[in-house]
Amino acid sequence: MSTTKDYIILIILAALVAFTPRVIPLLYFSKRQIPKWFDEWMKYIPAALFTALIAKDVFITSKSTYNFDNQPEIISTIIVFFVAAKTKSMGVTVVAGLISILTLAYLF
Amino acid sequence: MEKENKAWLDVLKIAMPLCLSYIPIGLACGILLHTSGFNILLTGLVSILVFSGGAQFLLASMLAIHAPMLQVLIMLLFLELRYALLSASLSPYLRKEPLGFLIYFASSMNDENYAINYLKFATDKKWNGHKAVMVNHYSLLFWTVSNMVGSTIGNLIHFNVSIVNFTLAALFGYMLVMQIKNWLSVLVSLGSGILAVILMLLLKSTMGLVIATLVASFAGFLVEHALEGKKKPFLLTSIRLRRRGQMKGMAKEDDQD
Repeated sequence: MSTTKDYIILIILAALVAFTPRVIPLLYFSKRQIPKWFDEWMKYIPAALFTALIAKDVFITSKSTYNFDNQPEIISTIIVFFVAAKTKSMGVTVVAGLISILTLAYLF
Repeated sequence: MEKENKAWLDVLKIAMPLCLSYIPIGLACGILLHTSGFNILLTGLVSILVFSGGAQFLLASMLAIHAPMLQVLIMLLFLELRYALLSASLSPYLRKEPLGFLIYFASSMNDENYAINYLKFATDKKWNGHKAVMVNHYSLLFWTVSNMVGSTIGNLIHFNVSIVNFTLAALFGYMLVMQIKNWLSVLVSLGSGILAVILMLLLKSTMGLVIATLVASFAGFLVEHALEGKKKPFLLTSIRLRRRGQMKGMAKEDDQD
């Protein structure tokens, strides 16, 4: 994927993929009740997904090998958890994470 | 006209904490998109059409490693699937709105403006679809402009990509912490992380992420079912992250279910 046309196709497909899960429940459930089992399963999806994505970022290299010796990212991730729990602010959390990774990458 | 004027200002005040927090994240996202080959216009387009921080970071990082398009789209779908839950939970408040409005509203909804709108719908009787869509507009505006500015900065200065990329982990870290409700959700998330690493090493593909997510969340669902009816199960004890009386800004609300 390199040309602008390819990027535009990707953006349009990505937009459809992003739009579908948002619109269908809104249309469907504005007329009916949400089934309980679906609701109960779905509520664990975000926590599972976010951790999987973080684990990939921190421990898996771009060549699909592991790297458990990535101190700057491991420590910064822990700092991110604490700041998020303490401040509940997305902006503050991201800025704190960036400052921490910059400092630690410089130290290690 | 006077009254109309006041409404947009009131809603802007409510949306402001969220809009401001979009600036650093949008800048970082724009920089990263630039390194993955998006120019300013494409960055603007993706910010308006996809309008999801997590999705745009994921797009950028997967394009950077030349992942096949289908795999990128599958990962995006799983990332965006959580919106099904969010929009389902807003649906009772939007019953009276026409079809066209619902479609339009859905396209501009994301995690953060959802959090504001859900809270306002639940607590403010005067809150309506019109004001909710205004919150979406403000957040969309700040997000898109920050992304485009980030794209321009990325053009001028060279950044260490792996460090800017950490913004994604920080963003997911924040969203994860907001999802932690009880000890079971901690366990589900730990299990998912360990499973994701093992499966990705075995499968050599991001499919491992998808499987880990589905298995861990379903296990959480089954455990919760098994514990139902028991007296005060430890795993379902809620964890209160927020200290009482410290409620500044509604973007920080965590009532997502």
